[in-house]
Amino acid sequence: MIHVLVIGAGAMGSTHAAAYADMPNAYLAGIVDTDAGKGARVAEACGTSSFTSYAKAMEALDRVDVVDVCLPTPLHKKHVLQAADDGKHVICEKPLARSLADAREMIDHCRSRGVRLFVGHVLRFFHEYAHAKRLLDDGVIGNPAVIRAGRGGGYPIGWQHWYSDFGASGGITLDAMIHDFDFLRWCFGEVERVYAKGLHGRVHAQLDYSLVTLRFQSGAIAHVEGTWSHEGFSMNLEIAGTQGIIGYDSARDQPLLSFQRGGHAGGGGGVPVPESPVEENPYFQELRHFLNCIEQDEEPIVTAEDAYEALRIALSALKSMETGRPVDLGAGAADLSSKGVIGS
Amino acid sequence: MKIGIVSFAHMHAYSYAKALIQLEGVELAGIYDPDEQRGQKFAGILGTSYYGDYAELLSQGLSGIVVTSENANHKEHVLAAAKAGVHVLCEKPISTNAADARDMIEACKAAGVMLQTAFPVRYNRSVIRAKQMIDEGKLGRILAMKGTNRGQNPGGWFVDPALSGGGAVIDHTVHVADIMRWFTGAEVKEVYAEIGQLMSAVPIDDCGILSIEFDNGVFATLDCSWSRNPSFPTWGDVTLEIVGTAGTLTIDAFGQKLNVFSEERGYRHHFWGDDMDFGLVRDFVASIAEGRTEANVTGVDGLKALEVALAAYRSAERLTAVSPAEL
Ligand SMILES: NC(=O)c1ccc[n+]([C@@H]2O[C@H](COP(=O)([O-])OP(=O)(O)OC[C@H]3O[C@@H](n4cnc5c(N)ncnc54)[C@H](O)[C@@H]3O)[C@@H](O)[C@H]2O)c1
Repeated sequence: MIHVLVIGAGAMGSTHAAAYADMPNAYLAGIVDTDAGKGARVAEACGTSSFTSYAKAMEALDRVDVVDVCLPTPLHKKHVLQAADDGKHVICEKPLARSLADAREMIDHCRSRGVRLFVGHVLRFFHEYAHAKRLLDDGVIGNPAVIRAGRGGGYPIGWQHWYSDFGASGGITLDAMIHDFDFLRWCFGEVERVYAKGLHGRVHAQLDYSLVTLRFQSGAIAHVEGTWSHEGFSMNLEIAGTQGIIGYDSARDQPLLSFQRGGHAGGGGGVPVPESPVEENPYFQELRHFLNCIEQDEEPIVTAEDAYEALRIALSALKSMETGRPVDLGAGAADLSSKGVIGS
Repeated sequence: MKIGIVSFAHMHAYSYAKALIQLEGVELAGIYDPDEQRGQKFAGILGTSYYGDYAELLSQGLSGIVVTSENANHKEHVLAAAKAGVHVLCEKPISTNAADARDMIEACKAAGVMLQTAFPVRYNRSVIRAKQMIDEGKLGRILAMKGTNRGQNPGGWFVDPALSGGGAVIDHTVHVADIMRWFTGAEVKEVYAEIGQLMSAVPIDDCGILSIEFDNGVFATLDCSWSRNPSFPTWGDVTLEIVGTAGTLTIDAFGQKLNVFSEERGYRHHFWGDDMDFGLVRDFVASIAEGRTEANVTGVDGLKALEVALAAYRSAERLTAVSPAEL
């Protein structure tokens, strides 16, 4: 049994906590959130205790094996370093950090403290994406040539509006498209060049939209769309190869769509709500996999170095937007620090 | 009104010919084709005369001519029409290079004949409706666009750069580049492109993703790849996603379709919307009838769209963004 402490009771923290609560080989030791009410609500739903700080939780709990960091991105580093110093294995939500230097420091620090570091690139655990990768690997569509991926919906509102602070979240490109960057790199190998255009720096409205082109060393070309300018979340993937095409669009292929006429008790009426029920959701599978890797001392499907590379692609896209030039990823130590409007 | 057709090298010739036949007051006066067998065949099917010499066809008292020869031959045929004082509807891309396109535009202007570039997507109902909504301000200010115009590798002269000027990039960039210019009223400032020969055995560009910057700050991408395979349920697509300050608009120009599953052909889309080729040809004929000197979609529109494709090729060579003005 692995004892897990989740930090952050927001959108991701509550998802992770619920997954551990259901997991036979995990014990959800507690959940931490500076917002006591939020922490308590998740704790109640998941049958655990809540704390208002990491220190208080560590003081009160007899045993913690893993610290799972589900905080806004700029807070990842401090908590990952702290947990490693305390000798705890770490699971951290993506993006690992806001800068490559921070990401490197976190990876090195965990290594030097002898703890494992896993990063939540959960797209690799989404059934449809994992299935597409299997088909690709089985050669069903021949050699991949042009790939289109996309994700997004409305503008996310997180704790203290941290998503709309570009210096904190990196906007859609870093926060959400990094999922696709990681998945595509998993499927098609190393990226040679990145070119990107985006709304960041062009408009001050609360909208973000990015169109990124990746050129892989294999020659394959991928187009990735990220949007925080649309209504309703959706994601899509299409891989065209020499022998066929694999396509998926969550907006089109909907297994379950409910609609409640307005005015019902409980609210939430008036908009169609899509669901895609599976026995084990991707977050559950991801986190169980990470715990299994700890128990059995195995390499995960997605490593911290993979997370670093995905971050490098995302930051290269931001750099390309800023300079209007393609960014060569082979070119080593390119300066990928990006000037945020709000500061980084 | 007598209209002729120069060459059935491009398959659109047949669809334009059928439109001409349907139009009241229009006579399909003849077909010229350097390939006599092909020309005779279509003259027979369409109930018109075959000419082995385009000068002879042009001297039959024509009001207009449709040029559907190979891209590299457009210039010769358009200049001959201008010389004969015959209005021209020229298949896209207008030419394989900007210099020839400029010569064609100049010659038609000097001769006082209309030069219309065949951009049928401008006559697609969903696209027209989108333009209306944009003009009514429904999207606010346009911020970004994402387009696709994908298809199958057509083979034949399309994959012979001497006749086509290039592959997927020159073939499939121009339609949507034209629509983007039309929607925004802006000109292309810079093009960056990743291009490749990733699917076909013959050496030709068959995949391309263009990134486009407009002079009003709008950005866009365009996928012009020949990435549809024979089992894909239709020939390809024209789609456009538009993000504006006040809303978004999603266009699937061929979304008006039935899903047909037959034992013989498998799963196919059957388009049931209005025929855009008919709309295109009707507009050309109407402009002639009205005695206009300028078409609704001009040779310059054809050149501007071509420049986007040419800038894309240059960009892929240089690995930098390229301004069409530099070409
Ligand atoms: N893998 C995915 O699919 C996915 C989806 C969404 C978010 N994320 C990532 O997960 C992370 C968290 O995002 P989110 O949407 O859950 O954020 P959120 O804004 O919903 O939640 C953040 C929570 O952290 C709490 N908090 C802030 N400072 C704290 C501190 N010092 N100590 C304890 N609690 C603190 C806030 O009160 C809030 O409840 C981000 O890195 C984000 O990019 C991943």
